[in-house]
Amino acid sequence: MSGVSPSAPASSQSPPLRVMAAPRIERHGWRLFIFYSSAFLLTGLVSMLFADLLWRKGWSASRTVLLVLFVILFLFIAIGCMHGLYGFVLRMFGDDRCITRLKEYRGQSIAGISTAIVFPVYNEDVVRVCEGLRATYESLEKTGQLERFDFFILSDSTNPDKWIEEERYWYDLVHELDALGRIHYRRRLNNENRKSGNVRDFLNAWGRRYRYFMVCDADSVMRGKTLVDLVKLMETHPTVGLIQTVPATVNAESLFGRIQQFANRLYAPLFIAGLNYWALDLGNYWGHNAIIRTEPFMQFCDLPQLPGRKPFGGQILSHDFVEAALMLRENWEVWFAYDLEGSYEEAPQAMIENAQRERRWCQGNLQHGLVLFAKGLRGVSRLHLILGICGYLAGPLWLAFLLTFNWICWFHKHTGLSDITVQAFTRYLSSFSGTAHALLIFIICMVVIMLPKALALIDLSYDSERRRAFGGLARATTGVFCETIFSTLHAPLLMLWHTRFVVTNLLGVSVGWWPQKRAAGGTTWTYAIRRHWGHTLFGLVWGAFMWWLGPSLFWWFTPMLAGMILSIPLSVFTSRRSLGAQARKLGLFLTPEEIAPPPELVALRANMKVHEITEDTSPRRPHTGLAEAVLDPYVNAIHVSLLREKQLNPVYAEQLAGMGVGSPQVRALGEKLLAAGPDKLTPAERLLVMADERTMVWLYHEAWLRQSLAPWWKASIREYSRQDES
Amino acid sequence: MNGIGALTDSYGHLAGRRLEEWNAAYEKVENYFHALRVRNKALLGQLVLRVLERAAHRAPVEPERSATQLAAEEMDRIVIEWFAEVLQEPPANADQMLSTRGRLALLLADMPGRWQEQFLRPGPWPEEFISAMRETYLRAGPDFQLSKMTPRPFDLGPITTLTNLGKLPYLKMVLAWTLFALLLVAIFILTH
Repeated sequence: MSGVSPSAPASSQSPPLRVMAAPRIERHGWRLFIFYSSAFLLTGLVSMLFADLLWRKGWSASRTVLLVLFVILFLFIAIGCMHGLYGFVLRMFGDDRCITRLKEYRGQSIAGISTAIVFPVYNEDVVRVCEGLRATYESLEKTGQLERFDFFILSDSTNPDKWIEEERYWYDLVHELDALGRIHYRRRLNNENRKSGNVRDFLNAWGRRYRYFMVCDADSVMRGKTLVDLVKLMETHPTVGLIQTVPATVNAESLFGRIQQFANRLYAPLFIAGLNYWALDLGNYWGHNAIIRTEPFMQFCDLPQLPGRKPFGGQILSHDFVEAALMLRENWEVWFAYDLEGSYEEAPQAMIENAQRERRWCQGNLQHGLVLFAKGLRGVSRLHLILGICGYLAGPLWLAFLLTFNWICWFHKHTGLSDITVQAFTRYLSSFSGTAHALLIFIICMVVIMLPKALALIDLSYDSERRRAFGGLARATTGVFCETIFSTLHAPLLMLWHTRFVVTNLLGVSVGWWPQKRAAGGTTWTYAIRRHWGHTLFGLVWGAFMWWLGPSLFWWFTPMLAGMILSIPLSVFTSRRSLGAQARKLGLFLTPEEIAPPPELVALRANMKVHEITEDTSPRRPHTGLAEAVLDPYVNAIHVSLLREKQLNPVYAEQLAGMGVGSPQVRALGEKLLAAGPDKLTPAERLLVMADERTMVWLYHEAWLRQSLAPWWKASIREYSRQDES
Repeated sequence: MNGIGALTDSYGHLAGRRLEEWNAAYEKVENYFHALRVRNKALLGQLVLRVLERAAHRAPVEPERSATQLAAEEMDRIVIEWFAEVLQEPPANADQMLSTRGRLALLLADMPGRWQEQFLRPGPWPEEFISAMRETYLRAGPDFQLSKMTPRPFDLGPITTLTNLGKLPYLKMVLAWTLFALLLVAIFILTH
């Protein structure tokens, strides 16, 4: 195991950053123009049909509202459809305007280039984070280029137990991989600016050592070859500031997780190819599984606070889009490397966890409403921001559309007006009855929504290798059919959730920063009832109202109402691993990584299985981390060493001093901890004690030597000794 | 074994303390060495008895202290002295930080896995063990290369003025009533 002498200079102040903005390359935006013109043209045509229908039934103010909502909503789905359509055409006929095909990059040398791979974590499943890192590390080792990369676990964990667990697993990892000096661990003293602040803190401490850095999520896994390819691409294209890979969703086990994973793997290639068609070098950043050129990022992409109060003002929550916009503002290119395989992530395994993630993203995206007005941003950046915002505004707009439609029906029934349909102003539709006219619009809407799915299947049918990777065309088609049924039921719930998120955010109710629950443990009935009773009730009341308005109308709304009324069982059943496994046995929702898992995922799954089998899964006593940090001679030594190392960074030293570390008050808290037990200290006091290296050394000494200890310590020593024995 | 056995002074007593007291002291020292991952039972027993022997020798002259207290102190002293010797730290500087460095060196040298028999043994020690103990240091990160990222505030134009409106008191209430009034107007228009 290697080591570094403690006498080596541990910190140095770097000269100020000096990176010039790249010269602005004027683009001919014809791709952008053609793409959005297609979407607008389609929207215009169908909106005209819809307006005609409304005209035939008799115009009113509420119909104007309905038409405006229809135009906006149809534009959203038309843009989605165009992404699928353009992506399909490009995949069929090839697209050379892709970062991996612009220049030959595979022969590019990366000798002497240093890249940091950072894993920002926040109270995450430590085992999963470390095993993901191990899989990536081992895969990179096989490329023979390991020495060009350094790994960093950047912890923002506030839970003392997680803090200690992270330190312990980090040490085990470096010990097992003989990677001391290659895999690093750093815990921040405060959580200022969350993930973006965490990365910024890393860059301020070490950024200048690395020409590039790659941001991974807690559940990311990257293939070694992909990492090397990304560095080669950056070296080949010196004007590129950021390359975003398209992570494949993997390792889903629940039914919900597997459906989402299947949809991601089958449809995403089309959509991303479509996105790349108009974005090109003005792409976007999704926050992880991306490589970034350090110097321009450090110089131009630090995020300012937004003026005003929450929800719009203050710290920027969804940092990724804004960082990409800032990079583009300085004329650095941002690309999607959508055809690079070997980039993976995991996704929520249940509907409720998915909604929790959506809530966080919703707040961040709505905040972009303010960033839109920032001067100097490129138009395409504003477009990325608008598309992100629209993703969440679509929910309340759909609800408003449906409620307005219901209002019109109710008004019609209430006033007893006769149902006279006049001639259509579109000549070709004159022979259509009102019902046939409405049906035509409905069919067009369905085609626009379903077309990308159908194109994804056609795309699959043309590629025999990919077809096999999805278990064959028949199984993939059945999968698409079932996924469509599920997403039909899920969509109204997303509509209600998004509406709630948007409204609460606009009222200034902020969301907490909770770590994602990524395991496929399954939703309990009680939890599902607590989270979905409102949806069920809303669906029942709405259904009864529709029935009262007219049974014929009611039947048109049944798919939407069914999603709401069945939300509780839908949420519970789709969260189950057993049903996910059953579907897999039937050949449903198969993905390439399930049929032929790549070596890095095989390694990850095998290691996770070992942990599952060998580790004690019984609930741990409260404050286990604290007990370990004080009583375990080695964990205490690691913890204290890491705290001591922090003092070498003047910024951390100042923060520690500001917290009161080293003061007699902390020693007094340590005394209280020993005499009365950890419950007598507040969480902040416990964290303060654990951040004080001298107190931690003293506590270790006293806990083993002193006789008069709180019963909690005596029990911990007994339990600790027995645990070690076992 | 013989050393401590020779200190038996009367029935049920050892070095002036009741046997139960020594039992508690034994458990304390054993727990500690357990925590250091000395898993070999023969070695463990030997180390515990060595500590207890030193404690038992102090016991008659320090009657006010319990056997466990004496044993704990001796256990700490033995370990610190040994760290000072192996790591070549002057004993005068032997403080609690030496204990931390020593424990870390034990971990990095893989004492629990490779060198259990060397633990607390007087020198000379195998060269490999010595170098493993003395030359390894734990570093969580490379040398710092400090810099400071500085954000550039957005110029939001007139929007900045609007965001300042949020600071006005009662603004939310005024907005809520305005929305409510607009809703009433909308209902009136739609129904007439």
